[in-house]
Amino acid sequence: MQSKLWIPLAVGVALLVALPALLSQSLVNAAIQMLIAALFACAFNLVCGQAGMLSFGHAAYFGVGTFATVHAMNAFNGAGLLPTPLMPLAGAVVGLLTGIAAGWFATQRTGTYFAMITLALAELMHALAPHLKGVFGGEAGISAMRMPAWGLGFGSSTEVYYLVLAWVLLSLALLYLFTLTPVGRLTLGLRENSQRLRFLGYDVHRLNVTVFAISAMFAGIAGGLQALNTESANYVLLESHVSAAVVLNSYIGGVTVFLGPALGAALMTFFGYAVSDLTRSWLLYQGVLFVLVMMFMPTGLAGFIRWVGTARRAHGTVALLPMLCAGLLAGLLLTAGTVFTVELLQRFFSQDYRAMAALNAGAGWAPIALFGRDWLPTAVATWAVPLGLWAVGAALVRATARLWHALQERAEPAETPTAQQGSAL
Amino acid sequence: MQPILTLSGVRKSFGDAEIIRGVELELRAGERHAVIGPNGAGKSTVFHLISGHYAPTGGRIHFDGHDIQGASPQHINRLGLARSFQITNLFPKLSVYENLRIAVMRRHGVQHTLWRFIGGYAKVREETEQLMELVRLAGRRDASAGELSYSEQRSMEIGMALASDPKVILLDEPMAGMSHEETDYAVELIKTVTRGRSLLIVEHDMDVVFSLCDRISVLVYGQVIATGTPEEIRNNQKVKEAYLGEEAAA
Repeated sequence: MQSKLWIPLAVGVALLVALPALLSQSLVNAAIQMLIAALFACAFNLVCGQAGMLSFGHAAYFGVGTFATVHAMNAFNGAGLLPTPLMPLAGAVVGLLTGIAAGWFATQRTGTYFAMITLALAELMHALAPHLKGVFGGEAGISAMRMPAWGLGFGSSTEVYYLVLAWVLLSLALLYLFTLTPVGRLTLGLRENSQRLRFLGYDVHRLNVTVFAISAMFAGIAGGLQALNTESANYVLLESHVSAAVVLNSYIGGVTVFLGPALGAALMTFFGYAVSDLTRSWLLYQGVLFVLVMMFMPTGLAGFIRWVGTARRAHGTVALLPMLCAGLLAGLLLTAGTVFTVELLQRFFSQDYRAMAALNAGAGWAPIALFGRDWLPTAVATWAVPLGLWAVGAALVRATARLWHALQERAEPAETPTAQQGSAL
Repeated sequence: MQPILTLSGVRKSFGDAEIIRGVELELRAGERHAVIGPNGAGKSTVFHLISGHYAPTGGRIHFDGHDIQGASPQHINRLGLARSFQITNLFPKLSVYENLRIAVMRRHGVQHTLWRFIGGYAKVREETEQLMELVRLAGRRDASAGELSYSEQRSMEIGMALASDPKVILLDEPMAGMSHEETDYAVELIKTVTRGRSLLIVEHDMDVVFSLCDRISVLVYGQVIATGTPEEIRNNQKVKEAYLGEEAAA
């Protein structure tokens, strides 16, 4: 099992290394964002998925990492003790120190109270930042320049990409190795039953602070990479939606698998990049996606992939194929129906359309241009499209469920995951 | 014999209700001592007070030269007092091996170690394997604790309590839910592993109590009404009235 993972892992790394040669400049920029988000999510998941503490304020540690790195870039000018490639170390140190201080308070409590304290600490920093002009640069923020170092100019996106990739791979490797240390093993004990750890003689609070600080340190590195990438830092980095995004990304990817959050964060960042230009409803889609993932595959994308793996071993790829195809098609149709409705409604309720309708009062509802065609909001045919898509999609979902039940009956004893998981999206 | 654990005038109230009303109890070094009593007498609460889960409202708990009333659970554990729980209290999603290894690790002082892999500690591995053999779970090494049968989980509770190599072990109903054969094995196991240690045990099975223990204390409504050898307890008039009588009536 473990040794088999080396192959996809090596392929993945090779692909990441080859990426800049294959992609356009703007896609390389998107890839940099994806890598940073992936590291941030994995750092967050150390506290969330492994230690079982849901932090709602991880933007704070990402943010201080960015600010610290921008300050370091200005102070060292890419030379001396901290040349440009090592700049994220500033983010790491400040992230670690902030994590120790914040973690000491936050981990006094568990569960909801822990989440509230982390949220409050992050909000505190966000509220304080605009007033501390010297440190956070007020509302305008602060900026710096990437200086050449080690014979590299760091002028092009490709050079920045490789620098970020090196840091992200190193950090992910360290985060993985952490899980093999005694503290890493005890971290799982924290999640499972921290009270029992206490009765086994462990200082749970100290352990909590250690884990929290390490997580904050790697979040700080991710923030530092962000500083290198954008050459600036602004207090909006500390906003709560950054904290929320890392929670959503991690759960969508799957917090029970080590690389799950990285997968979720990379995908969601890419979708954000690809889709946010096409639609104004991106946040809505993000929210809907999160709700669906939580309802139908609570173990996230990584959990789903793992489930497909076990199902393949149990039933064989060929037997599984019709069900997977039906499920995929159902997902596509339901998505298409939903996107159509949302986009149509969004345009229908938009200010422009309202103003037009008011101007041409009496002329009836004007057609709405969408997907290269004009749709009359009053025509039955317009609404028949999403309804038809949903109906066929729903029928396919039922077919998928039936196929799955048939598979299970053929191969007693039944597998653990439910049919719903198989048919979800 | 010197007492290793002494409770004097220990009280505990929850709101207005006083559950433990001045408990006097003495555990001698090297003895096996049972606490019996009807349901709701406060046996588990006494264990919670000794192990640091609750702080007593009043009184003193003296263990091996230290006053431990109100001390933290991890502090008490490190002084050499370990316990099991009446309601199974494990790491449900971790494997049997991992559960026991976490329990063993503490004694090897690695709880803050970040620069070595856990796999590199041969001594930890060895002791974990031995412990797994001892509580007869070696065959279930990779099963997660949550999927063990109830009696297997009870065995693991004993194993986890043993892992810290304590001077005093508190076992809270370790045999509950076990079959006869399993109970017999558990009695032998407890006899073996408590050699050179002191044991305080809450148990409902009177056969177990009488065959295992040197002395018995009877707890009724938050007070110890009698302490003595099994023979003395059997013949004690107060015990017959308060405890055995009640059981016969029920």
